[in-house]
Amino acid sequence: MALILLPLVFGIIAWFVPGNISRIFGLIASTVTLAWSIIAVSYFEPSEHLLVDFGLRFVRFSIDSLGFTMVLLTNSVFFLVFLSNFNTSIVHEKRFTALALLMQFGLLGLFTTNTILGFYIFWELTLLPIFLILYWFGAFDKPRALLQFFLYTLVGSLAMLLSIIGLMHLTNQQTYDALLAADIQSLGNTSIFLMGGFLLAFAVKIPLFPFHTWQAETYTKAPTAGTMLLSAIMLKMALFGLLKWVLPIFDGNATDFWRWPVITLGLVGIIYGAVIAIRQQNLKTLFAYASLSHLGLIAAALMLQNEHTNLISVVQIVNHSIVSIGLFLAAGIIEERLGTQQLDQLGGIAKVAPRFGFWFAVLTFVSLSVPFTAGFIGEFFLIKALFSAHTFTGILASTTLVLGAVYMLKAYQVPMFGPTKINSFQDLHWSELAVFAILSIAAIYLGLAPQCITDFVAHSLTQPTH
Amino acid sequence: MDSIVILFISGLIGLFAGMQKKPLLSIIIASLGLVSAGVAAYFKGSYISPLSSYEAYVPTQGLIIILLCTVTLLAILGGYKRYAADNEHTGDYLALILFSLCGAVLMAQPNDLMLFFIGLEILSIPIYVLVGIEKGSSRSAEAAVKYFFTGSFASAIILFGIALLYGATGSFQLIEIQSNLAIGIWQSPMAIIGSLFLLAGFIFKIGAVPFHFWGPDVYDGASNAVLMYMATVVKIAGIYALVNVFGQVFRDSYGFWIDLVSLIIVLSMFYGYITAWKQTSFRRLIAYSSIANAGLMIFALADTHNSNLFLFVAAYAFATIALVVINSIVNDDTDSLVNWEGIAWRHPLIGIALVISLFSLAGIPPFAGFFGKFSLLWSAVPHVPYTAILALIASVIGAFVYLRLMMSALKKPTVVVRSPLSFEQILVLTLTSLAAIGALYFI
Repeated sequence: MALILLPLVFGIIAWFVPGNISRIFGLIASTVTLAWSIIAVSYFEPSEHLLVDFGLRFVRFSIDSLGFTMVLLTNSVFFLVFLSNFNTSIVHEKRFTALALLMQFGLLGLFTTNTILGFYIFWELTLLPIFLILYWFGAFDKPRALLQFFLYTLVGSLAMLLSIIGLMHLTNQQTYDALLAADIQSLGNTSIFLMGGFLLAFAVKIPLFPFHTWQAETYTKAPTAGTMLLSAIMLKMALFGLLKWVLPIFDGNATDFWRWPVITLGLVGIIYGAVIAIRQQNLKTLFAYASLSHLGLIAAALMLQNEHTNLISVVQIVNHSIVSIGLFLAAGIIEERLGTQQLDQLGGIAKVAPRFGFWFAVLTFVSLSVPFTAGFIGEFFLIKALFSAHTFTGILASTTLVLGAVYMLKAYQVPMFGPTKINSFQDLHWSELAVFAILSIAAIYLGLAPQCITDFVAHSLTQPTH
Repeated sequence: MDSIVILFISGLIGLFAGMQKKPLLSIIIASLGLVSAGVAAYFKGSYISPLSSYEAYVPTQGLIIILLCTVTLLAILGGYKRYAADNEHTGDYLALILFSLCGAVLMAQPNDLMLFFIGLEILSIPIYVLVGIEKGSSRSAEAAVKYFFTGSFASAIILFGIALLYGATGSFQLIEIQSNLAIGIWQSPMAIIGSLFLLAGFIFKIGAVPFHFWGPDVYDGASNAVLMYMATVVKIAGIYALVNVFGQVFRDSYGFWIDLVSLIIVLSMFYGYITAWKQTSFRRLIAYSSIANAGLMIFALADTHNSNLFLFVAAYAFATIALVVINSIVNDDTDSLVNWEGIAWRHPLIGIALVISLFSLAGIPPFAGFFGKFSLLWSAVPHVPYTAILALIASVIGAFVYLRLMMSALKKPTVVVRSPLSFEQILVLTLTSLAAIGALYFI
């Protein structure tokens, strides 16, 4: 219970904390929640479900090993976000600390809830803090981009709400287990529409190809901490929803119907995102399109509904969080110290700031999925799964490796080793160094021993569902 | 009945106490009256509805009275500053509101069409006075005249509908009319025309498209304090009357009017939200938002057996009151949305209440507005699925109206101006915010 409620309590306290200690408070609060979840996971029997009930009719919680993995991921991401931004101006604002902690509460609720309406409530609950963070701290000249982000998300989630109402009416069930057991097959074409509503919401969040247009501008204009939160954990809500809720529940003709459309969109996203990323001059925009490319691969692979692929996609989800925190941190550091992210104005940073050069390189390699990093395990197996579905999809999916190398090496090489265009660059602060180190160690550890995730998650993903 | 008597007596006492020209005394009397009316309704216990066979549909009469009293209490507390400024008339204001509330209570759940009509008039006439009570202001006078004419027109239409129904069924008792209509009389032209007149009159009163046009002008001309009462209690009473009279009596002709009602819902929501987008004055924005919300409330007609309207109207009323209270802090004389810029920075409580109310109105969880909308749609979806889809599309537009207001209110101003809140404003804002969050526990 405390596992879910701690961030809420901290988030409320944070409003009353004086501004000058709010960054320390944020760091302590996220450390405590992270420590609490690590302790909780050490007592947790992976094959069991942990039930939490606050006496609410529509919102109940049940934590399984997949939920625990996501809880740990969330808490780590928030810890890293607070740590990595320890020296930026944003954490001096108690509003940011409070909103981030409220968002953490929403995410934890989403990953642990057991009822379909609870899923929707927490899904929307995360929207409020991120919207305020983007609005207050982002560099949006006009509210148009922000409103576009909100419009897309809202349309998607209202479609999902309609599907949820329909699903609850038609099956008369609301909890996860009961919905799994319900006979969705017999609904025929209705189930295709219901699943479509969910998929629309997820496609906006992930984002999949034609629904991605909010992404680049929002990422670019958002404060670094906000971009990290968006890409490292908020997008994972949709993948989690797909993996845990939608695909198992709609197993059958609805999934068969949507499989190839979603895979196609994912593949288009992989290639389109990568090609656009190569052409980008703005570092954050480049990483945004890279994210589109990487997540398209996970979404496409998830649709195959192969047990092993599902396990690997959890590894890839974690890996993408690691990569996106690292890359956006690097972009944020460059922006903060030089005031620009345009590649043509950058060059020769590595000479002035060798430590930054080194750690950015490590993260670049992680993002390139070189062997012995988590990305290698993830992408290799996901592409392999897509190959076994169809050779053609496999070939298209594997272009992500080649194209990824092009834009990532460009993103690294131009600012770091290009002709020197900068005068001075303050090297990494201890907190940034710590974040880079933690991320690299985690990526390499997961690359060497991915089974620590797959074995743990296997308990909730490989149970007989029907 | 106890509640009505208590309300009436406390209104009378307040009227005489108002001669002391002590605003505090008047507000205390009015508040005590409202609280004891609510308590009386609570202890009345399980009230057997005259339409007892549909008890599931009508929650309990007590609950609606408690809601009406609570909303009125919040409205008079929120507007107290304004009433107290005019200390000669404070007692009159509050007494008029209490008298009008008697009508609302009478009207919300009648068992007799005549009783219903009397309740409607008792509700309306004090409000005509309240809207026009600022004798010096021409806008206020214009609004009062407009409201009086359109309101009387609507009353006449309702009366005509009642007369036709009486002609068709030979009774004013709802239960008799219902059973007479059920045996096939509803197909007679007289009953059908009567039902349409009744529907038109109700739509007039709650201000949904196509009879909405008086709303913006009247809301604009009324003061913030009166608006708080008018935009909430009148709407609650009106929608409950619509559901309990129209929805119950004409259950058998459901197939005949449901398409018409769906059209009204969709038109109201789209018209209200799209027009609200372009407003520059806060009270007009609230007026258009209330047109759209009236459309949403009519969803309760879609399922005549089991519809949960309560949560939605409560959420709407609390959020609207909080917003108007906030508006009264910057916009007492003027009424421009420009003044809303950076308003959230004037006091932390304003910021919190504003975000919560706007998100609640926009229907975003975990606030009351979402649960209200959810329970309305929950019962409506199986009956009118396409209307529900259109309504959801309209609520996206609505969310943007509220969001834009919120963005302007949250914009950090270059110079932070603090404005202190009075005790009763703090009370109202805190209570409405808590209610909007606490709704989670009531579904």
